Amino acid sequence: MKARYLTTAAAAALALAGLATAANAAGKWDGGDDLATSPLECGMGPAAPAAPMKYDGGQPTNAADKAGKEIVVVDVPKLIGIGYFNATAKGIQDAAKDIGNVKAKTDGPTEAKIDEQIKFIDNYITSGVDGILFAANDPVAIAPVLKKALSKGIHVVGYDANSTPDAREWFVNQSPFNGIAKSMVDAMAKETGEDGSFAIVTSTFTTPNQARWIAEMQAYAAKCHPKLNWLETVEAQEDNNLSFNQATTLINKHGDKLKGIFGMTSVATPASAEAVTKAGQCGKVAVVGLATPNAMKPYVHSDCVKSVVLWNPIDLGYAATYVMRAAVDGKLKPGDTSVDAGKLGKLNVINGSEILLGAPYIFDKANIDKFDF
Amino acid sequence: MSAIPVPRLALPRAGIFRRFASQEALLALAVIGLAIAVGFVNPRFLAYRNLADILLGNAYIAIAAIGMSMVIISGNIDISVGALIGVLATVSGSLAVAGAPTLVAWIVPVVLGVLVMAAQGAVVAYLRIPAIVVTLGMMSILKGGLISVTGGKWITDLPQGFHLADLNLLGVPMPVAIMVVATALAALWMRYSASGRAIYATGGNAEAARLCGVNPQRTVVMVFALHGFFAGIATLVYATQLRVIQSTTPPGLELTVITAAVVGGVSILGGVGTVVGATLAAILIAEITSALVFVNISPYWTDSLRGGLILATVIADIVRRRRRASRGRRI
Repeated sequence: MKARYLTTAAAAALALAGLATAANAAGKWDGGDDLATSPLECGMGPAAPAAPMKYDGGQPTNAADKAGKEIVVVDVPKLIGIGYFNATAKGIQDAAKDIGNVKAKTDGPTEAKIDEQIKFIDNYITSGVDGILFAANDPVAIAPVLKKALSKGIHVVGYDANSTPDAREWFVNQSPFNGIAKSMVDAMAKETGEDGSFAIVTSTFTTPNQARWIAEMQAYAAKCHPKLNWLETVEAQEDNNLSFNQATTLINKHGDKLKGIFGMTSVATPASAEAVTKAGQCGKVAVVGLATPNAMKPYVHSDCVKSVVLWNPIDLGYAATYVMRAAVDGKLKPGDTSVDAGKLGKLNVINGSEILLGAPYIFDKANIDKFDF
Repeated sequence: MSAIPVPRLALPRAGIFRRFASQEALLALAVIGLAIAVGFVNPRFLAYRNLADILLGNAYIAIAAIGMSMVIISGNIDISVGALIGVLATVSGSLAVAGAPTLVAWIVPVVLGVLVMAAQGAVVAYLRIPAIVVTLGMMSILKGGLISVTGGKWITDLPQGFHLADLNLLGVPMPVAIMVVATALAALWMRYSASGRAIYATGGNAEAARLCGVNPQRTVVMVFALHGFFAGIATLVYATQLRVIQSTTPPGLELTVITAAVVGGVSILGGVGTVVGATLAAILIAEITSALVFVNISPYWTDSLRGGLILATVIADIVRRRRRASRGRRI
């Protein structure tokens, strides 16, 4: 019996060693996808203009000419009553005030349900509004009701979550993948130094958004921070405790070598920050990641985390309202390459019918308390 | 009571090796063997800090596996436990944020866990609906309900005193202390008390148990209620470890807990197993997850390894039963 245990243990050790050498040979960061990447320019330079694409949005039929006149706009987000969409709604009100001749209100379902959202939009089409802003719960299912709005001469602009392009005129895109990637890698290089070693905590290797971000991050790092050293990527699902455990394992495994952790999800980032805090590694291991401000406040206030990357939802709502006004006024027509968005300046048109919000927003100690979502 | 079949104890000729060939001994050896093997590849794995972190971060799974073992030993199953823990975590966190005294925020989820599980146990026992159906329904109710009620909003800003998992008991971190104490108490109770033995009897052969004076229905309700209690305790450890409580239920937690019980030697056919085995298995599974990172094995393998572990245990269980049966000894 005893001998059998020993042989089993020895066999297990050998098998582990064998598997260990097999992994980690490829040059690609684990968790990235194989699609083409388009890294942005290094440093603070302006974004490179993307290859122009033909306008692929839809246009309202026989819309009343309200150029320069007051318009009534309704905003139907995925759901109301949560911090994130409270923030976009605030941006919409701010823009309405800055523009002057826009009356905006936000209304929508209390749960993120597409059938509810469709009902709200349908009701506003019936009651008669000049414009509809939306953040879709489902890009395909929302399309018919939006097309109905366009057919009644109502202007339709999306933000945050798109519909199929032909169901709206414009979509304000808060986060192209290469923009997020640049912000993340720049922040990491700044905190760990140009030759720091870091690891990544992601959801799974095949989650589309995360895979795209990681691939873009690798491309941008290769171009602008070539000495940054990727150690490994670990999976943590969308699971708080697993993320915490995986980040802890990374810290224990690499010791002093590990200078930074990227959190690729709003779950992984606070959990990684907690792991760094519990391990007593604040200031030694940087955490840079995508996350919502509320979950990160404790770590930002304790100086354990310096940069939380996301977009500013207030700016997102603000931009969407300016795009709506410009579309009504005929100042933003198919084929145009930019639009004026008040205090945000000129925003570029990308991908045919999308407006690029701009560089992602970095939440830090100075600004994070202004947000509640 | 003495007529109740007592598996595993009834091995009169058991030599020292036979006794240690039990699932518990195998698991203990596996836990130690794996640690040594990984230590060869990367000595950092054996650092106290890392071993402690593995226990700390996964104690809640072991605690939940105690109740799950009882449920499976009684001849039932529960797949709602992951969703329940998610819901109880939100209840607990909401109470804490709303300003309820810390003790209330800790006790209410435990009581609620007992009630929800006892209700399920009653439906299983008295309406004779298979547990997998009842708990599948409950899982959907809890999962859907949680997202609807929270609207996807996380709980943040938890008060400092709420974090039970950050406390120490006589120098031992609370999650580990709770895991050890709960496992020991449950193990002793199941082995030596009449109601503990009744669980084995009910799962082994409900009709025989009834003839011996055990009330199988009442036993099943009691088992589910206890399972709810341990799920509540597991929730406290789980929810107080981090600064946020997610509004989604922990993905796949029920499967991890069931895996721990089954790999721990709890027979899926009921009637056999111990909570010590389940706790050791929970530790082994956590150790494997960490070891995979340490030896650079792609996480793609995690699920396959876990699956392999389950199959190996179940096959070993069946083989052991057959062998004993062929020796003419009844289980």
